Amino acid sequence: MTAAATNRGFVRPMYHLLKGLHEYLTRKEEFSVIILGLDGAGKTTLLEKIKTLYNDTPGLSPDKIGPTVGQNMGKITLPSTILKFWDLGGQRGIRSIWHRYYDDCHAVVYVIDASDRERLNEGWEVFENVLSAPQILGAPLLLLANKQDSPEALSVEEIRNDYEDWYRNKLENMRRTYGAEGESEHRRERIASLDVMGISALEGTGVRAAVDWIFIRVQNSRRREDQGGGD
Amino acid sequence: MGLSFSSLFSSLAWWSKDKDVRILMLGLDSAGKTTILYRLQIGEVVSTIPTIGFNVETVEYKNIKFQVWDLGGQSSIRPYWRCYFPNTSAIIYVIDSSDHDRIDTSRSELLTMLSEEELAGAPLLVFCNKQDVEGALKPEEISEKLGLAGGEKGREWSVRGSCATKGEGLEEGLDWLVNAIQKK
Repeated sequence: MTAAATNRGFVRPMYHLLKGLHEYLTRKEEFSVIILGLDGAGKTTLLEKIKTLYNDTPGLSPDKIGPTVGQNMGKITLPSTILKFWDLGGQRGIRSIWHRYYDDCHAVVYVIDASDRERLNEGWEVFENVLSAPQILGAPLLLLANKQDSPEALSVEEIRNDYEDWYRNKLENMRRTYGAEGESEHRRERIASLDVMGISALEGTGVRAAVDWIFIRVQNSRRREDQGGGD
Repeated sequence: MGLSFSSLFSSLAWWSKDKDVRILMLGLDSAGKTTILYRLQIGEVVSTIPTIGFNVETVEYKNIKFQVWDLGGQSSIRPYWRCYFPNTSAIIYVIDSSDHDRIDTSRSELLTMLSEEELAGAPLLVFCNKQDVEGALKPEEISEKLGLAGGEKGREWSVRGSCATKGEGLEEGLDWLVNAIQKK
């Protein structure tokens, strides 16, 4: 009786100690990643492909995916890290809500349909807004040139050039209308560190590389925050 | 190795409790909930009368059994919806897209419901039903009116058009919902 009581008195704290230790060792940090881009860029297809590649239950197959009016989420588990993806609708009316997700996100993925030349300019216009949003200036930003499976698709190099051409034109126009207006320091840094990757969300090519990129970058930016005391 | 074991375990755990997948189907009266329920269950359009109380049916879709609760939508019985909230895996909310006058009522009933703690995190599928009626609001328009965007970060949601009498949009919606439930 007394032995049992002493035993229990010992077991319980031991259990909590071990449980705490186990939780500490298996603790995973969670990062939020938002997926943005025009409608039809392939955001949901990308999300579902990521889920298929990293989770046991496969995501929706591409033929089941229509235009998103709403919000899709997906979670994948990587070593000591959980990445939580948010796929938001890309139609004009829904784009206005993207900014409400900016405050809580750790990385931004912008998807562009590299095979749809007619909508590239529209895509850059929207991209430029994302790029200059003050809440996410510090967050890693990845530009994905999707639909590389299509023969019409522009390559990563061509996409980068097209964007730069578009931006130069825009600057030129602004200069003509408003007089001299230089490129901001922030933006220059942003562009210098901007990575562009080619993927096919449909076939899965390049998707793992993109996820690896995000994984490494969110870890790094977290570490930097820790060292800098956070601001 | 440990990783794959734990994920294997969690997927098994999901399957073992698949009897418990309870879906609530809600919406104002005459939105088309009962028609959707029987369209899903027996694939036919049945003639319905306003539901007082509820209909509950087991719908089997892609080898998954759902218990779908279709609750009456009249204003006098809406307060009882909350009795059915515990253990809900997902919500289907049905809106009559041609009923412009009551879209605000529909919106406030929906938002009140979503604020309930028992339903936190449950995926939400909105059927903008009666898309075949002329002048019906499009899913994008209804989505804007509902104002879920940005406010409902804790759950997945999708606003889709449907026509229950023709069976359009229902399967696509259910595919989305199954996918959303499985992930949890």
